[in-house]
Amino acid sequence: MKVRAIALNTFSGLVRNKIIILFCAGCVCVLLLMLASLLTMRNLRAVQNAERMQMLVLPIIASMMALVSGFGSLLAAWSAADAVASEMRSGIVLAVLARPVRRWEFLLGKFLGVQLMMFIFVLIMLGLNYLLAWIGGATISTSPWVLIVYPMVRYMVYSALGMLLVTVMHPIVSFCIVLVVMIGAGLVAPNNPETFMPEWLRTGLFYLLPSSNLLSETRFLTITRATLRAATWTDHATALAYGLDYALVCFVLAAWIFHSRSLARD
Amino acid sequence: MAAVIEFQRVTKIYKRIFSEEKLAALSDVSFETAPGQVCAFLGPNGAGKTTSISMLMGFFFPTSGEIRVFGQPPGDVRAKEQIGFLPENFAFHKFLTAPKLLRFHLQLAGRNPVAAGNLIPDLLAKVKLNGYENLKIGRYSRGMVQRIGIAQALLCNPSLVVLDEPTSGLDPAGRREVLQLLGQLKSEGKTIFLSSHILPEVEQIADHVIIINRGKMVRAGRLQDLLASGGQVEILADRVPEELAQSTLRGATVEPATHGVRILVEAARKREAVESLWAAGCDVIAMTPVRSTLEELFLKEVDSPGGAQ
Repeated sequence: MKVRAIALNTFSGLVRNKIIILFCAGCVCVLLLMLASLLTMRNLRAVQNAERMQMLVLPIIASMMALVSGFGSLLAAWSAADAVASEMRSGIVLAVLARPVRRWEFLLGKFLGVQLMMFIFVLIMLGLNYLLAWIGGATISTSPWVLIVYPMVRYMVYSALGMLLVTVMHPIVSFCIVLVVMIGAGLVAPNNPETFMPEWLRTGLFYLLPSSNLLSETRFLTITRATLRAATWTDHATALAYGLDYALVCFVLAAWIFHSRSLARD
Repeated sequence: MAAVIEFQRVTKIYKRIFSEEKLAALSDVSFETAPGQVCAFLGPNGAGKTTSISMLMGFFFPTSGEIRVFGQPPGDVRAKEQIGFLPENFAFHKFLTAPKLLRFHLQLAGRNPVAAGNLIPDLLAKVKLNGYENLKIGRYSRGMVQRIGIAQALLCNPSLVVLDEPTSGLDPAGRREVLQLLGQLKSEGKTIFLSSHILPEVEQIADHVIIINRGKMVRAGRLQDLLASGGQVEILADRVPEELAQSTLRGATVEPATHGVRILVEAARKREAVESLWAAGCDVIAMTPVRSTLEELFLKEVDSPGGAQ
């Protein structure tokens, strides 16, 4: 009951957070700007065959959704960091932790509140996928659960990372570090041909940083009916277990640091 | 009876990261608060009151020494179940209304708000916030915020109420109501640990006082004992011969009063003074200890060179 109360309260706070509203508004603006290319494709439908349309439209949707999804990762990290930091800053944490609430329960409640918000974000993103495909005249062959579970796990990783960092530093610094981690994870991904960094560093970072590529749902979007090769259950299980494990490690570390830190009004 | 709060040689030193600079916020402080006691925790700004209360609630950790609350370490859930806490400058979720905030705190205490019945409306009426149920707390005045803070502190019928500046931001009528509320809690046998700068109010309600200054405990004890100790005694006699005023009563204040002569003498010298008056054939009409106020005692303790070390 305590964790649920904190989670729902966190969710209520997040959906009223001006920075997050601004963040989402920016995301919508970028999407609207990118719609132009899809609308052009729709006009070309009359002169192209259906299979060719799929080949053209789905990569555009995938790139648009990769952008939205990337925004989501940053949103997850910022929300988690801000949910903890704002209560520390205002002193609300003192009133909450004066109740019979353990510190890890407080963090878990915050974490789940962020996940609740991100779940709604993912559902909107899913709807957007189908809407964009419809606008472009294409069909998404990927199963919906993939488009829900993969981003959720990735957002768990980034929100746990944001939460871990904010237990020891300012939320803006935490957010910047998460941003650097995201970029770094993209650079060291195996499918990235970029080779400016030495192999040992690239390999090290690949194991250390969360693999956004592995947990990306957009890689499934480009699959057309003709090339559809369903990933096996073990592939999905391995990728998702990796993400959950990464998130769990970050959360446990955050709870451990938070357990032993002084709670003063900042 | 086991103490509700125990501080045993508690020291708190703040250290800056990457620096040798250290600040002792609390040095070797020991005290106990018995069940049912109203304990006033006093000290000037920066004395270490909020640090002590934060450690009591488990927000900070002592550098050395031991703290126990209901026999448990601070921050332990079993202890916190019995504590109602009002922090200094109570902070809240501004988007909530008062009933929603109290429901949230009930849930945090592990209780079902639905099963709580009229608890929340009654509590809001107690702190005079009924009629404001639909107003978001973000739009409350400072005094109203303090009232909702007091309401949440009393929410789960706690055995120990820890209040950091409970009358801060309240108007005189509000302060009186809070004092009445504290009096009611005292009569219910609750232990109250209170920090306040408004000493005349504290004097009305407290029965035990702890004064700290610059992190050190300078005085502790029953309020009555502290106010009576170290003071003067007023002796009312029918007359005082001149030679007696110049000899035995030298150093004492001798002044005419409505029904005789008023002599103010150190408490340690009262017996000597009375016996000399009797020996001189004077009639001693009354003898009463001069009771100083808590404010006088406080100022004396924090201004004295020993108290400021």
